[in-house]
Amino acid sequence: MLVTFYNSVHTLRMDLGMQYEFVGLEHFREIVRSDDVFWKASRNSLTWAIVAPLVDMPLALALALLLHRRVPFARFFRTVWFTPVLMSYPVVGVIWLWVYNYDWGMANLVLRAVGLGHWAQAWLATPTTALPALILVTTWMFAGFNMVVLLAAIHAIPTDYLDAARVDGASGWRRTWHVIVPLIRPTLVNVTILDFIGKMKQFALVWVMTRGGPMWGTETVATYVVKRAFEWKTLDLGYPSAIAVLWFVTIFGLSWGLTRVLQRREALEF
Amino acid sequence: MGSRAARLLLLLPVLAYTAFSAGPYLWTATMSLRTTDEIYRSHYGLPVPAHWDKFARAWTEFGYATYFRNSAIVAVASVLIVTVLGAMAGFAFARRRYAFPLREPLFLLIFLSIMFPPQIMLLSLFQILVQHRLFNSLTGLILVYVATELPLTIYLLRAFFAQIPTELEEAARIDGCSDWAMFWRVMFPMALPAVATTVILNFIYFWNEFLYAVVFITRQQIRTLPLAIQFLVSDQYQDIGMLATGLMIATLPVLVFYLFLSEWFVKGMTAGAIKG
Repeated sequence: MLVTFYNSVHTLRMDLGMQYEFVGLEHFREIVRSDDVFWKASRNSLTWAIVAPLVDMPLALALALLLHRRVPFARFFRTVWFTPVLMSYPVVGVIWLWVYNYDWGMANLVLRAVGLGHWAQAWLATPTTALPALILVTTWMFAGFNMVVLLAAIHAIPTDYLDAARVDGASGWRRTWHVIVPLIRPTLVNVTILDFIGKMKQFALVWVMTRGGPMWGTETVATYVVKRAFEWKTLDLGYPSAIAVLWFVTIFGLSWGLTRVLQRREALEF
Repeated sequence: MGSRAARLLLLLPVLAYTAFSAGPYLWTATMSLRTTDEIYRSHYGLPVPAHWDKFARAWTEFGYATYFRNSAIVAVASVLIVTVLGAMAGFAFARRRYAFPLREPLFLLIFLSIMFPPQIMLLSLFQILVQHRLFNSLTGLILVYVATELPLTIYLLRAFFAQIPTELEEAARIDGCSDWAMFWRVMFPMALPAVATTVILNFIYFWNEFLYAVVFITRQQIRTLPLAIQFLVSDQYQDIGMLATGLMIATLPVLVFYLFLSEWFVKGMTAGAIKG
């Protein structure tokens, strides 16, 4: 950790036996002023981190509430929905490469089957659809997981509260919105923040599925750091370290801010 | 609510999501039992006849035996070390009588390090591994894994040990137990539920880890399963059938355990949610 901070203000030549040369804040200036790829990558990472929770959380909450309504075989469904999070990113990546295959992938197959064949396309090769396609994959992985955490929080609500609301004549819908959701709010905030942070750090799925392409369309900050450090023949660990430091500070600041905002809204409501 | 029709209506979105959730994996499972020729003739067919021998071929001819062994070595060794160290450290942090200088600041540091993102550790760990000639070795990878998961393990186990009343250890001590024997014979067995949670959490993490593996391992013989799959995708892009078999080999051990112990898995994975 400290080594990384130290690196970020140096140029570190791997070809010259790890020679340090002090450059001060030069790397940071270059990143912010003239590194177009960094800006594209951070825009992609931010988009991912904002859109994914907006999709995952309502979906997870809806699923948790559905299962809470004593749907038959609830345990079976919960078990199935949780499964994707147990697989590694490369496995998930390969499966979804096939799902998005233009000729025979499941995505286009479903579209053609319901008569929307003209929407079928090469999802990962089109710059405008590649990132949304990857975001959907993380939703597939994490919506079920988030659902399980929320469901646990719902089950932890003392039944007295729900019974009291029922006695007061609250309908099922109102019990949901005015009793359950406010009571599990701390969990909701927590899971949202974790979802956000996870997406800010996203690396493996991109590495396996698109390598950041097409045209930097799915490049994330994490993949860019690894590329700059080990793939581009710049042989300098200082510059990517500076990116990592900058991004770490960004993640830390944003998640701290997000926590404050979400918790304040909670405070206002009571 | 309560009427049969309404319940069936609720079942619709549930079934739709189940199809979305399970569909891709089940499809892969069918392909793992079909040859690539069969798959290219029709991508959605039942595996009839089922080519179980593909698993044997993947294991011997395509190197999955090696990759599986590497993954198993790394995951099992890391879990063992993390569990033993984490339990002892967690216990020491949970008990007042093991006071030592800078105890509180040290624990705060450990707690903070749970939140460090791997990317920022990556480059400095790379340097450290190269300096100590541990780059490109399973030992190096194990050390990195232990270092990354130890803080969370200590944190979770400390919380559990702190709840166990001290009377039991005092009784053990009166019976003449040394601290060492008391810990392993009395406290550790009592903490087994919490230990099981961390073991599952850590095992899944180590089994699936990709970022550190891809940077720290470049020799083919010591690739772990996630790493091997990433390379096989580009090398054997055409051989879908065999790749599907490989995916099954990489996921089935975990999923079979999960089917039998799903409550424990859910507990373990959600305990890790504080890390994300």
